[in-house]
Amino acid sequence: MVALALLETANALLAPLRAPTDRDWRAAATAVRAGFRPGDVIVAAPAWADPLLRMHLGDLIPVAVAGRLDAARFGRVWEISQRGARAPETEGSRPAQSSRHGALTLRRYERPASQVSFDFVAEWNRAIVSRVAPGGQVSWCYRAPDHFECADPPAQSVKAELLEIDTSPHLALATSLASHATTVIEFDRVPLGRELAVGAGLHNVWLRKAGKGTVSLRVLVQGRELGRIQAGNLTGWTLRKFDTSALAGQSESVRFEITVDDPNSRYFGFAAEARS
Amino acid sequence: MADVGQAKRRGKGPRWIVPLALALASSGWLLAVEGRQGLARDEAQYFRAGERYWGWFEALGEAVAARKPGRAFSRAVVDSFWGDNHEHPPLMKTLYGLSWRLFHRCDCVGPKQGLHPIAVHGKHRTLPLFSRESTAFRFPAILLAGLGVALVYGFARRFIGPWAAAGAAVLSVAQPHYFFHAQISCFDVPIAVMALLVAWAYWKSLRSPRWGILCGVFYGFALATKHNAWLIPCFLVVHYLWMRRGDFLRLRPPRVPLAFVSMASLGPILLFALWPWLWHAPVARTREWLQRHTQHEHYNFEYLGQNWNLPPPPTQTGRWLLRATFPFVSTAFTVPVTTLALAAAGAVVLARRRRKDAPADEPDLINPEPPEPGARASWLRPGADVDLAPGMFLAVQILGPLATLAFPSTPIFGGVKHFLTAMPFLAMVAGVGLAWVTRQATSLVRPLRLRRALPAALATLLCLPAVAETQRSHPDGVGHYNLLAGGFAGGASLGMNRQFWGYSVLPLLPWIKAHRPPSNRVYWHDVLHDAVMMYVRDGRLPVGIGDLGVGEPLVAQSDLGIVILEKHFAVYEYLHWEAYQTTRPAQVYAHEGVPFVVAYQRGAPPPPQEPLPP
Repeated sequence: MVALALLETANALLAPLRAPTDRDWRAAATAVRAGFRPGDVIVAAPAWADPLLRMHLGDLIPVAVAGRLDAARFGRVWEISQRGARAPETEGSRPAQSSRHGALTLRRYERPASQVSFDFVAEWNRAIVSRVAPGGQVSWCYRAPDHFECADPPAQSVKAELLEIDTSPHLALATSLASHATTVIEFDRVPLGRELAVGAGLHNVWLRKAGKGTVSLRVLVQGRELGRIQAGNLTGWTLRKFDTSALAGQSESVRFEITVDDPNSRYFGFAAEARS
Repeated sequence: MADVGQAKRRGKGPRWIVPLALALASSGWLLAVEGRQGLARDEAQYFRAGERYWGWFEALGEAVAARKPGRAFSRAVVDSFWGDNHEHPPLMKTLYGLSWRLFHRCDCVGPKQGLHPIAVHGKHRTLPLFSRESTAFRFPAILLAGLGVALVYGFARRFIGPWAAAGAAVLSVAQPHYFFHAQISCFDVPIAVMALLVAWAYWKSLRSPRWGILCGVFYGFALATKHNAWLIPCFLVVHYLWMRRGDFLRLRPPRVPLAFVSMASLGPILLFALWPWLWHAPVARTREWLQRHTQHEHYNFEYLGQNWNLPPPPTQTGRWLLRATFPFVSTAFTVPVTTLALAAAGAVVLARRRRKDAPADEPDLINPEPPEPGARASWLRPGADVDLAPGMFLAVQILGPLATLAFPSTPIFGGVKHFLTAMPFLAMVAGVGLAWVTRQATSLVRPLRLRRALPAALATLLCLPAVAETQRSHPDGVGHYNLLAGGFAGGASLGMNRQFWGYSVLPLLPWIKAHRPPSNRVYWHDVLHDAVMMYVRDGRLPVGIGDLGVGEPLVAQSDLGIVILEKHFAVYEYLHWEAYQTTRPAQVYAHEGVPFVVAYQRGAPPPPQEPLPP
C-alpha cells in the first residue's frame, strides 16, 4: 500500500513533465516542413492530438485531405507520435525516416500509393442525378453552380460537402433523401481500376440522435450490382472496397442508388474512388 | 470495550476542532484555486437564477416597506423571479444569490449595470470579501463542501480512530472529479453532502428519536437541493430491511421507523416551504418537476471511444452491457488508485467483521454502538436491539448511486457527477482500510515512539497521492483519469469523456480578448451567454464583447470562434473549417498535451516558420 502510494504520488508529480511541450511541437513541425511534398499526408498519434498537430501544420492539411476517404492514395505519411502510439494510417508500413523532438517522435512512412483514376466527390459535377419513384417514373435533378437540386424535397439534394460522420470529417457527396423514391447518382465513362472504394454514413450527431431510418446505398457498375452499404445511427463510417479488376482500364458507368425507409433527420453522405 | 471507552473519553475534549480544521482547510483549498476554474454552463444559469431569486427578496422588502407584503406573494411576482430555472429546486441557488448579494465587490453601476438579470438601482452595500462576483456566488458551495469533509470525519469516527477518520475526510475531497464539482456553484457536491447528512441522521436515528426528527428536516433540505434526493430513502430502506432481516425470519415485519415517517412528512413540507415556485400550483408543478427528470432526454457522452446518446437497442446485448459498466469503470478510472486500494481493504474488513469467531481478537472497527443488552426495538429506536450493519450501510450508499446509473432505463447522463453521492461513503470505507493498514503496520513496529507516530505518518502518506492527483488535475478535474487509466493522456486514449459544460475556455480568454475581431462577431459554442456575461462582470472579458449565440448556422457568421472538444461537438469544428477555409486552429488550450478547446480566427496569419536547427 505504501509502495502504491509512493508510485502514484511520483507519477502525479512526474507525468505532467512527460507531456509534449509547444517547443516539441514546433521542432517537429519544422522538421516536417523541411521534407514535406505536395501529396503527403500528416497524421497525429494518438488521434486526439490532432488539434495540436493542425495548429502547427494545419496549412499543410487542406480540408480535402482532412476529410479524406482513407489514406490509401498517400504514398508518404508523416506521423507525429507520442507515448509510443501509432496512427492507423501507417499500418503495414515501415518508417523511412525517424527523429525525436522532445516528447514527440516524427516518422515518415513510405509505401506504394493507390492511383486514383476517378474521385467521385471531386468530379461531382459530372454526375447525372435523378429521383426514381416506385412506379419507375424518373424526375431529373438540375445542376446548380455548387449542387444538384431535385424537386422533392425542394432543397439542395446532392452536394459535395464536408460532413461529420461518426464524429470524424468526411468530404462526401451529401444527399438529402426523399421518402418513397430512389435517389440515383450516375457517372458515365468512369475510368475504372482494380477496385472501387466506397465509404458511407450518416451526417450530424444531432440528426443521428433524432432520426430512426436506415439508408441503403446500392453500387452498380455497368448495371451490375457490386454490393450495398447500410447506414444507420450506429453504423458509423463504413468503408467497402469492391473488386473491379476485371474491368480495370475500361471506362464504364457507375451508378449509386440511395433509398431510405424513413427520411426524417437523415442526411446521408458517401465518397468513392476508382483506384488502381 | 476499553478502546471504546477511551475513544469516548477522547471525544469529550474539543471534539469539534478536528472536523472544523478539516472543513476550513478544504474550503480554503477550494477557495484558493477556484479562480482558475472556468464557469460551467449550468453554473452560469444558476448564477442568473440565484440573482433573480435574490431579486424576489428585494421585491419582498419593497412590498413590506410599502405596507403591502402580500404583493410579493402574488403568483405573477413569484413566478417572475422563481420561474427561472425551475427544473431544479431552489435551496442552493438561493444561497448562491444571497452570498453574491452579501459578499461581492460591487462594480454594479456604470458599464456593467445592464449585465444583471435583475434591475440594479445603485451601488450595492456589501461586505466585499471577493474580487470576482463568481467567487461570491460559489462561496456557499465551497463552504458546504467543507462541511461535507467534516461530516465524513465525524461519521467515520464512529467506526475508526482519529487519524484514519481524518484520512477518510481528506480522501473524500481529494478526488479530481469531486474536487472539480466542489468549487462550482452547481448541485452535485451539495447533494452529496446532503445525502451524507441525511444518512448520518438516519444512522443516529436507529438509536435516538431526536435524530429521527432531524432526518426528516435534513431530507427536506436535500429535496430542495437536487432531485437525486428522491433516491436517498430507497438506499436507506435497503439497509433498514437488511439490518432487521431477523424480523422476517421470525415472520414479524419490522416497524416503519421514525426517520422514514419524518422524511415522508417533513421532507415535502420543507420542500414546499423553501420553493416559492410551487406555492401557487403545488400539485401540477411538482408533477412537472418529477416528469422533467423521469422523462429526461439522453445526453451525448463519450465512453470507451463511443459517443452515447441513445439507449442501445434490446437486441444489442453487447452495447447494453457495455453501457451498464459505465459507472463502475468510471469510478475505477477516476478515483485515485491508492484510495481505491484502501477502499478495497476496507471492504474486506467490513465484510469479515461479523464472521470473526474469536472475541479476543482486536476489533477491526471501533463500534461505540453495539446492540444494547436487553433493549427492545421500537419505531423510535429501531436499531436498539440489533447490530447496525455498517458494512451493508456503506455498501448500499456506494453501490446504490452507481447501480442507478447502470440501469438501461436510466437516461444517459454521463459524468461521474451523477453518482458523486457515493464518494463520501467510498472515502469512509477507504478510511476503514487505512485503519486496518495502520493496525497491521503498528503490529510490526516495536519502538513505542514510532508506534505512536505511525497512524499520523501513514494517514499522511496514504492521502498524499490523492492530494497530488487532485492538485495535478486542476482546473480540468473532469478530464482527469487515474494511474490505472494513464492520466489525462491515458483517459483520452481510452476514449473517456474529457469535459462538459464549456468551462475550459477560461485559459483562452486573454487570447480571445487580444484577438477580438473588429466585427466583434464571436462564436462561443458551448459557453453560454450567461457565462460570457459573468466573465465580463468578473473583469475577464471586456464589456461589449460579441456573442453570436448558439447554433450551427452562426459559425459562418463569425470571425472568431471556439469549439469545446467533446466527441459529439466535432461537427462544430468542421463548420469552422468550411467557414474559415482552414483546418488550422489559431490557438489550442491543452492540459498535459491533451487538447480541450480550439479557437479559430478568420484570416489568421500562418504559423511562424522556424529555421531548421543546424
